[in-house]
Amino acid sequence: MTNILSVSNVSKVFGAVRALDGVSFGVMANEVVGLIGENGAGKSTLLKVLNGVYQPDEGVITNAAGSLTLRSPLDAEHAGIGMVHQEQSLLLNISVAENLYLGRESQFIRYGKINWKAMHGAARRQLEKVKLSIPPATRTELLSFAQRQMVELAKALILEEEHEDGLVILLDEPTSVLENDEIKILFDRVRTLRDRVSFVFVSHRLDEVMELSDRMYVMRDGKVVGQMTQEEATTAKAHEMMVGRNLDHDYYSSDKRKDIGSDTALSVEDLSRPGEFSDVSFDIKQGEILGICGVIGSGRESVMRCIAGLAPPQAGTISVGGRIKTLKSPSKAVNTGIGYVPQERRVEGLVMQLSVMENISLPSIGQFKKFGLISTTLQKTAAAKWVKRLSIRPPDYSLPASSLSGGNQQKVVLAKWIQAGAGILVLDHPTRGVDVGAKQEVYELIRELAAQGIAILLTADTLEESLGLSDKIIVMRDQKITARFSMQEDEPKQVDIIRSMV
Amino acid sequence: MNFRKLVQRHRGLIPFMTLIILVLLVGINAPVFLTVGSILTTMTDTATLFIMAAGITFVIMLGGIDLSGQSTVALASIVCSMSVVHWGYAAIPLAILTGMVVGLISGLVHVHFKLPSFIATLAVGSVAASAALLLSGERSVPISAENRDTYFFWIVGETLGIPNQIIVGFVVLLVSLCIERFTKFGYWSRAVGSGEPAALAIGVPITQVKVTALVLSGAFAGFAGLVLGARLGSGSPTIANETLLPAIAAIVVGGTAITGGTGSVIYTLIGALMISVVRIGMTFIGVDIFAQQIVFGVLIVIAAAATIDRSKLSIVK
Repeated sequence: MTNILSVSNVSKVFGAVRALDGVSFGVMANEVVGLIGENGAGKSTLLKVLNGVYQPDEGVITNAAGSLTLRSPLDAEHAGIGMVHQEQSLLLNISVAENLYLGRESQFIRYGKINWKAMHGAARRQLEKVKLSIPPATRTELLSFAQRQMVELAKALILEEEHEDGLVILLDEPTSVLENDEIKILFDRVRTLRDRVSFVFVSHRLDEVMELSDRMYVMRDGKVVGQMTQEEATTAKAHEMMVGRNLDHDYYSSDKRKDIGSDTALSVEDLSRPGEFSDVSFDIKQGEILGICGVIGSGRESVMRCIAGLAPPQAGTISVGGRIKTLKSPSKAVNTGIGYVPQERRVEGLVMQLSVMENISLPSIGQFKKFGLISTTLQKTAAAKWVKRLSIRPPDYSLPASSLSGGNQQKVVLAKWIQAGAGILVLDHPTRGVDVGAKQEVYELIRELAAQGIAILLTADTLEESLGLSDKIIVMRDQKITARFSMQEDEPKQVDIIRSMV
Repeated sequence: MNFRKLVQRHRGLIPFMTLIILVLLVGINAPVFLTVGSILTTMTDTATLFIMAAGITFVIMLGGIDLSGQSTVALASIVCSMSVVHWGYAAIPLAILTGMVVGLISGLVHVHFKLPSFIATLAVGSVAASAALLLSGERSVPISAENRDTYFFWIVGETLGIPNQIIVGFVVLLVSLCIERFTKFGYWSRAVGSGEPAALAIGVPITQVKVTALVLSGAFAGFAGLVLGARLGSGSPTIANETLLPAIAAIVVGGTAITGGTGSVIYTLIGALMISVVRIGMTFIGVDIFAQQIVFGVLIVIAAAATIDRSKLSIVK
């Protein structure tokens, strides 16, 4: 059989990062192709290339008609590639029919106005394809998540009429918002539709991919590292392929690992937030680094935000230094001595227009008082100290934070919390968007902070990073803790962690 | 060096240069404008506009807006002229307190019901305007010459030949500069205006900052009502009509970005002076008084467009 859509030697580079590195990949007619890999392995980037959101720097995409240039999702649609988005892309305040034919209304226009009857009739036929029996005039916000997903699928299937042979539908993490029985229904529909359409299915859940896909590709570090048919695939084999390089302890400055204090800095008990995580318990001692591993949607990001005061828990307790605290807002968390280093550095981490100095002094602005007034001189002294100590480049604290590189920005974020005297740091993907060289500086800094007795809660970009930095690791899956490891007693292998993750 | 770079480097000086050019333009057409007397009059005229605009600057700095200014000024002027008869000096804190209450209500409505400051202050402002009408019985409330000289000499008199209103204006400038540069609130509000999510994650108490800004704006408007009432010799429900647009124009023309984060009361002072120069200049040159609002409207559009780099905006609401 021949491919109806193929990608050969495609690369995509963002700054210093090769998000896709010579990827070759093909979809045959009536086939479900699975795509698995850790966070950041390149799955999403590949989908975006296929959907015309990103243009590849190298390589070609071809279908039956020849080589394709996809400059936008619209180009992709013309080439017979439809997409069902992870974050659903329907507009909630208009009807299902309007959503289905958004941008395609002209076919229903008679005498300058829309013939609603015709549109609703056509919409009804589309909805039948996915066996969704709702009136097409229903406002989209009244539908459940699962129903909206089906509407998205129905929308992608409209392309079927224009592409008699070879429609490919990309399913980006379609199960992440669905319950188990809803997932079953989705899989049923996909299997039925496979008679006419091919699918590319991306999920963090290995079991799902193995169940639904006829064939699957394994990605790691922007490369396709393996390919298996459904018959060949085993969990163990997939795990092995997903695992990355071996640990290089020096890279993570492990030699700077110090003895951990005996006092518990942060203790969390049976923490729950319905729909996000439940019964999460852990302790972090002073100077200890606790890494949380898990895929997107496992609940680990939510736990981080909860500890940072951005999303208060519904049940359970958080104790700091042995005392129970209610962290209803970030300002409460900050006053308790918890500093948050967010994933979205440019949005939440720094006030980009303000100077490096102001960013450093803001969380503890009250400290810089002289005669009851806030003094710029004191702030300058502090900023100069941090710029020097952390070798922030360029070494000018009056520059706006936006003019610094990712790694230097992250140093500023860390500096502001040390300046504020935070005893606990919540590091949410601290090396995201940081150049390879600068990453090591950030690792060193994290180690140094731990050595000073700061307790650190970490979610890392890769498993390798989690293992390299953490003293203790907890693994989350489906909103619960599934495993705990201690690096000193029994250092886990990446495979051990992946096993509890996917 | 190309022109764009030159402009970038000296951006802070642009409002000041514009002011000087405006003064010279009016001066060329009407040399009388450049005499000490005229300049002092212009500055005196600017005082109340500046006081009101300085307050609103705190709100705009956060990325919000306060549209209740002129109603608050009117209400405060009436509270002041009615209370000075019975309580003398107490009229001063009462006028300011009136403004603070209006600001507090706007602030609580804004934060609690999560309404945009635009709607909250517009609604509360109309309540204040009505209260002013009811309280005064729809008339102006005169302040007797005796009371004026006893309690408000520091507004209406002169010191060493300089009208006291100018001095009062400078004191207000110093106070607001202090708030802006030397208090937690000042730093916090700049952070909120430049990036609210980041400010939140840093631990800035956002709601508190927002309410404080509106209360401050109210206090300044209350004070402006007091000064205006004393100067005109009566409080009136229409005392501040047609001042809201010039006040916002003063802030924006000065260079404070309407989207928040950058700016200063210093710029508001320069902006307020520009507005006065344009207004008085137009009278000198002989532009119809009713056409002046057209000029202010056009000025706001030009200034707002110049202070924001629109190429980075993808969505405008």
